[in-house]
Amino acid sequence: MSVVLNRGEKGRHTARPGGTLFALVSHTVRMQLRGVIIWGAALGLYSAGMVASFTAIEGSADQLNQLMEAYPKGMLEAFGVTDLGDPANYLHSQVFGLAPLALSFFPILALANAIAGAEERGTIDVLLGNPLPRWQLVAGNFIAVSISLLEICAVVGLLTWGTAVLTGVELSPREVADAVLNLWPTCIMFGAVALLCSALFHRRGLAIAVPAFLLFGMYLIDTIGRASNDLEDWRPVSVFYYYGSAIENGIDWTHFGSITLIALGLSFLAALVFR
Amino acid sequence: MSLAIQTEKLTKTYGRKARGIEDVDLAVEEGEVFGFLGPNGAGKTTTVRTLLGFLRPTGGRGEVFGLDIRRDSVEIRARVGNLPGEFALEDKMTGEGLLAYFARLRGVKDLGYARELSERLGAELHRPMRRLSRGNKQKIGLVQAMFHRPPLLMLDEPTGGLDPLVQEEFLDIIEEVRAEGRTVFFSSHNLAEVERVCDRVGIIRGGRLAAVETTETLIDKSFRHVVLTFAEDVDKEQFEALSGVRDLEGDGKRISFTLDDGLDEMVKLAAGHTLVNMEYERPSLEEVFLTYYERENGEGR
Repeated sequence: MSVVLNRGEKGRHTARPGGTLFALVSHTVRMQLRGVIIWGAALGLYSAGMVASFTAIEGSADQLNQLMEAYPKGMLEAFGVTDLGDPANYLHSQVFGLAPLALSFFPILALANAIAGAEERGTIDVLLGNPLPRWQLVAGNFIAVSISLLEICAVVGLLTWGTAVLTGVELSPREVADAVLNLWPTCIMFGAVALLCSALFHRRGLAIAVPAFLLFGMYLIDTIGRASNDLEDWRPVSVFYYYGSAIENGIDWTHFGSITLIALGLSFLAALVFR
Repeated sequence: MSLAIQTEKLTKTYGRKARGIEDVDLAVEEGEVFGFLGPNGAGKTTTVRTLLGFLRPTGGRGEVFGLDIRRDSVEIRARVGNLPGEFALEDKMTGEGLLAYFARLRGVKDLGYARELSERLGAELHRPMRRLSRGNKQKIGLVQAMFHRPPLLMLDEPTGGLDPLVQEEFLDIIEEVRAEGRTVFFSSHNLAEVERVCDRVGIIRGGRLAAVETTETLIDKSFRHVVLTFAEDVDKEQFEALSGVRDLEGDGKRISFTLDDGLDEMVKLAAGHTLVNMEYERPSLEEVFLTYYERENGEGR
């Protein structure tokens, strides 16, 4: 006969205080490991490819910059091109300026799945049949996806820096670390929008569509706003306005913290709605 | 005896169109096996989901082991093993992984009983869910509901998809659970199994609790099938005229009918003839259940 531990009054089984949240987070992080490897490898290999391609253009950077001068100034500003002979600027314009557009879909998909996806698949009742407070389901998924996103950033950073070392491109570990870490708050913020929509609408499709629309809308506002005086005043409503170029200028911790706080606020709202 | 579940006018509505439950007064005693019967859409799942705090009641109140279903749902779920009607799991997970995860969520350190249950039910714990048949998923659903020995089991259609031998093993487990003094609240379409293991049954129709009786009483209070065989031809209209008789068939020496009440009157009438044989049968729970629904349809018309 089995022996059951932690058995309280009336056969009540509970994990230690906070134990349910820890169990949920560790389980979710483990379940996302495959996604982390796929996303990290895909984005990391693309970034590594760009580092490797820099060696090919390095010698002709002056000619390239002259060629770029023929392009409209606004267009170059829109894509953050200032000096293609600088590996940091080259990687910002080719990789890290665009990366949030792709990487944001990892937290968007994962957090849209957390509530609405689980409801649609019918798996949420089985999970909530355990003594797990509803707010912990929201918070636990947010924390787990935040950790997985950091892991993806780390994989991208390692592949980028490793390639730079192998090909002799002058890129410091600090520059690479700033570039990949700066992806995190912007991407997780769109994930938090997905989480809130998931709790509000209980429809996975809507929980993906709304943040995706916001993501591209904000990107366009910021990109066009850099080139067009008409839209310039709108740029501060876009999160990309605060994203900057961490690989060149380091992380702006005020912006980093503010965007993280917005993401936390949205997750808190999601927990309230789902309560 | 204290109550495992108690509700007073428990109501859950989903707006104007969808029907939920209305004014459900339920009292399930600790240690009993309670069958909750009703067709799809009658309100069984809504009742269970409201009791577990998955849905907020729009009226009335409910308690599980004295804990309020609105305030204390986490505490309640710590004492309940739940098998939802539409049991679904993440495709990538194995049964072993699921049980280890749920054990961590519940603070259960020993999975010995889970393995024992898995063995008895023949659950395959090492294959991912997407590769399991409906019956095999259901077995894992049953194990995850029972492995932590909760004082209350809430099982929605527990034997759906199981083969007869496994159904039999499951009913044996339910009898062991009752012998341990634990409570079982389960809904089923298989009325033969409800009749076999349930101490009491509740019948829900149209979101309202239509009857709660012991299984025996429900059947005893119900109609009887009567077949009378006489030595000589009898006038069947005499029997048809009795107030409790319906569905009379046959003529001459053998007649059969359903008797709702008026046993004494019927026996006295039959005794006026030479009676060769009398069959007097209790209906099955299934027939009793169907009668409730025929009544509802009759009222509806």
